[in-house]
Amino acid sequence: MQHEFNNRIAAQRAILKIVNGNGWEAEDLFGLSHKAIERWVSINRLDPNSALVNLVKEAAQKLFFLANKSQEQITSEYERTSSEVSAIRDALAAELAGVNPSHF
Amino acid sequence: MRTHIYAFGSICRGDVSPGSDVDLLALVEEYEPRFDPDTYSIYSYKRIGEIWEEGNPFAWHLSLEAKLIFSSDNFDPLKLLGTPGPYRNCARDCDKFRSLFFDARKSLERAHTSKIFDLSTVFLGIRNLATCFSLGVLRQPDFSRHSALRLGERSLSIPRQSYEVLERSRILCTRGYGAKVSDEEVELASANFSLIEQWMTTLVQEAQHHAA
Repeated sequence: MQHEFNNRIAAQRAILKIVNGNGWEAEDLFGLSHKAIERWVSINRLDPNSALVNLVKEAAQKLFFLANKSQEQITSEYERTSSEVSAIRDALAAELAGVNPSHF
Repeated sequence: MRTHIYAFGSICRGDVSPGSDVDLLALVEEYEPRFDPDTYSIYSYKRIGEIWEEGNPFAWHLSLEAKLIFSSDNFDPLKLLGTPGPYRNCARDCDKFRSLFFDARKSLERAHTSKIFDLSTVFLGIRNLATCFSLGVLRQPDFSRHSALRLGERSLSIPRQSYEVLERSRILCTRGYGAKVSDEEVELASANFSLIEQWMTTLVQEAQHHAA
């Protein structure tokens, strides 16, 4: 458990690399905090209700306490399994596969 | 339902800047959807008791800094918990945050995307390692964002401009605030990674020696 913190940072990185894999015209997604996502949606003029944006928000929710907090502990009620995060990562990859990000 | 809300962090130190957020802690019995996790650090009373007993750095942070702003029962549960237990995991934690830096550096070297996130993670590793060291070894805890620059002769020594790029990356990733970091700035910050590694390794070794 002692590297849980690092593992969750790694999970966040994996999500970002998928989202930013094809590059964005205006700006990459910098992080999974609410404010970072808002900035990315706004600056790239994405549809806030698109499947892509919803998946990113879902990933953020799963990993939320690392998105904007420097501490690692939180109640067990909020713990999410890595398989859930993996499933979202796969869904994001499928959503972005072969699609021009500017279409969102 | 019993609830307590505390403020902590920069707002309690008066250390406020345009990139600062307001750190709030909510203590609850169980999951409560009314508390937005983007706004609050949310802990159950059980969990906060556990981290107090562990002597976790966050418990020390709260014990030294948190200010009660709402109490549903007129009690101050953090004050009632008293002084946290001794912090015994300093060496392990310092090593963990050095690993975080290694992971971010490797990612930066291998991939061409999400570099600002990796720089942000480097800053997180630097800050958390310094904070743990200040608490566990120096016994002069510093929970500020710039704890790495406040360790006296053990402070991180890299060019100010590079440090500021790392800090800006962290603020971009967490608060979505600030000017985008350019590729040149990524290079500028990355050029000091060997100095950062040396600094981290020195602190990790000292923490290990201190624990032995």
